[in-house]
Amino acid sequence: MNRLHPLSAVLMALNRGVTGLFLGFVFATVLAAVFDPVSGFWTVVAAPTGFLLGAAYGVAYYYRFEYELTADTFDLASGVFARRDREIPYHRVQNVDVRQGVLFKLFGLAIVNVETAGGGATEGVLNFVGEDEAQRLQREIRRLTAESKRRRRKGGTATDAESADDLEWVDPDALETGEDRPGEAIDPPGAADPEPAERAEGATGSEPAEGRTEPAEGATDDVTEPIDPDEGPRAVRGERLDDDADLEDGAIDTASGPGDERIDTAAGSGDWAVDDEPVFADEYRTRRLFELTARELLLYSFASFRFAAAAAVFFFAFVAGDSAMEVVLATAQPFGGPETIATGTPRGYAILTLVSLFYGAVLTYVVGAGFTFVSYYGFQLGRAGDDLVYERGLLQNYSGSIPVGKVQSVTITDNPLQRLIGYAGLWVETAGYGPDSSGGSQSAIPLATERRAYRFAERFTDLERPTMERPTSVARRRYLARYSIVAGLFVAAVYGLSTVTPIAGWQYAALAFLAVPPAAHLKWIHLGYYVGENHVVIRSGFWRRQTTVIPYYRVQTINTRRSIFQRRLGLASLVVDTASSQTFFRGTPTVYDADLAVARSIHDDCRERLQTALAKRAADEDAGEIEFD
Amino acid sequence: MESLHPRIRLLWIAQAAVGAAIVGLIAAGVDSQIRELPAAVPVGAGLVVFLVGVVYAVLLYGRWHFDLREDSLYLERGVITFVETSVPFVRVQHVDTRFGPIERALGLSSLVVYTAGSRNADVRVPGLTPERARKLQDTLRDLAVESEGDDAV
Repeated sequence: MNRLHPLSAVLMALNRGVTGLFLGFVFATVLAAVFDPVSGFWTVVAAPTGFLLGAAYGVAYYYRFEYELTADTFDLASGVFARRDREIPYHRVQNVDVRQGVLFKLFGLAIVNVETAGGGATEGVLNFVGEDEAQRLQREIRRLTAESKRRRRKGGTATDAESADDLEWVDPDALETGEDRPGEAIDPPGAADPEPAERAEGATGSEPAEGRTEPAEGATDDVTEPIDPDEGPRAVRGERLDDDADLEDGAIDTASGPGDERIDTAAGSGDWAVDDEPVFADEYRTRRLFELTARELLLYSFASFRFAAAAAVFFFAFVAGDSAMEVVLATAQPFGGPETIATGTPRGYAILTLVSLFYGAVLTYVVGAGFTFVSYYGFQLGRAGDDLVYERGLLQNYSGSIPVGKVQSVTITDNPLQRLIGYAGLWVETAGYGPDSSGGSQSAIPLATERRAYRFAERFTDLERPTMERPTSVARRRYLARYSIVAGLFVAAVYGLSTVTPIAGWQYAALAFLAVPPAAHLKWIHLGYYVGENHVVIRSGFWRRQTTVIPYYRVQTINTRRSIFQRRLGLASLVVDTASSQTFFRGTPTVYDADLAVARSIHDDCRERLQTALAKRAADEDAGEIEFD
Repeated sequence: MESLHPRIRLLWIAQAAVGAAIVGLIAAGVDSQIRELPAAVPVGAGLVVFLVGVVYAVLLYGRWHFDLREDSLYLERGVITFVETSVPFVRVQHVDTRFGPIERALGLSSLVVYTAGSRNADVRVPGLTPERARKLQDTLRDLAVESEGDDAV
């Protein structure tokens, strides 16, 4: 077992000492304030005692912190009173990061961070070690990672997290027309047969006549759609440059080098082979998959609601306060609003409030639509090598890429208005790889006809057409009860308000109960799930309905949850967790309120099919082919 | 399926006692600083918290089970919301064993399993003897090291 650099003991002691000093001071002060027998004098004793205890803790922490490189794992043991023993398998290490500030450089010290996938804090922090030791660790971990990977590969069953990611790609023509792709009939002869000879044959069919676009330059106008139906989409693949690349020294990882991989799927679905020769020049060629037309852009602007735009409305009201108030007053007057803001009856004020709310809502909507228009103007999505690339924006150009291998799940969203006109949007979730600040969720298709969006999702994930099932109608009963309680609370609140204000007619609030049955029904009708061969599809939500497609291969953990209310009704919610980072608005995909037996069977299906998917993947990799599922 | 060590109830009860002490202290603080309260209030509040904690501890112990299955670690627990969780071995990122001061005094240890999922450290098995925790950690580590798959991130 190794210890940190001895200087870190000194620093830690000082650090914890100061914390102890502060804690002792605060603790004694609070006690003195609350309890009479404790006098202010205690602080004089408590603060230095705190410092000493803290410093002692810091030193003890140094002696109790140990790390070790074993054959399979990087081990960390730490803690004085609370102990923690951690073992990180090398092949889970994402990156080893050595940090050196100016002072650290001066003294030849460094902080080593060992990160694995998944959210939360850095998993292994060595704060701090000597420079040489840091370099040794970085080198050794890299070597041991490579070794463990090679060992696993030799076992004949290993897969490589970074290279095992590819997917069947989409034919834009099929997307445009919504019909089956014309290329189906002219598949390369060996599409279903992974022989290298045929691979080459398939590749020759795809001459690079397709349009090019350079996302960086924003030159989107001269992009041309592929004109030759014979050509078919070509996924190009080169060496990936991402964080993990530095872990995989080219020398030790030739097995997953460029040119060694191809895309393939089962016969019938049609596919194209990847070039066998390295295609570094092609790495940056973008093939367009989707472009937001003017019509779609306008529909998207007007059929999406951004509540965040309310902030802009507040700002506007703040800046143009007086003139805005005049407009509101003028509008409210015909309906019985007050003459001025200072004079008025309660009834007048109520009307004034309603009118300004109305204005606020309209303004929010208009500002939101404008914002959507400006930020999604000229949206287009393409594929360059292993990345999806997109760009958009009128005033400010946003562009970015989404590594396809990092895509965890695909979600189709729609709101009631979009459903009415038969449109939907498509988002892809990645593992915390968000090019946007919005977490790992990125719009792939802002808005397209529902059919096209679903088709895209199907092609993207190689999903069989889902037939959604709905939880039992007992769930609806549950929502009926839940919303009745909400309506009851609402009535009670209005009644409470009427007792302290002169507002009359609180009884009308009871009309809220009329909304309960439709609300419960709508909530229930938009629930759905589909347990497919390779994917589970989960749908929920009325206002912002989300249909999430999760490949079993991406499942991390599975939970069946039952609250006391659900237990009474024999219901359960099934939570399928993937590595996609969650945002505030987007919960973990959940099948809500299914029958307990159903939830358990989905639970088991997900678990078992993950194993099947893994086995299949391993077999595919042995055969030298990889597919995204 | 395996149950937790019976002493885990003492840990939970001790935690309830700490919570009760804090609630009592806050009530005492309100009494001396903000407004006078009957003397029974701080004691009563603390006592109620403690009793609820004891009942909760007993119920929770009865419901906590875990099992090493063929391809995954399975846990079930929960009083208000009962949760059954499967953690496929291939998805285990790394495994901690840890114990706090009270756990150490009771001779207990916890196992924390990390996945790359968004509920990263959700999987925690408390109330194991140190040997059992160590053994589980070794088992899970071996399974994670040997597992065929990757973390799919």
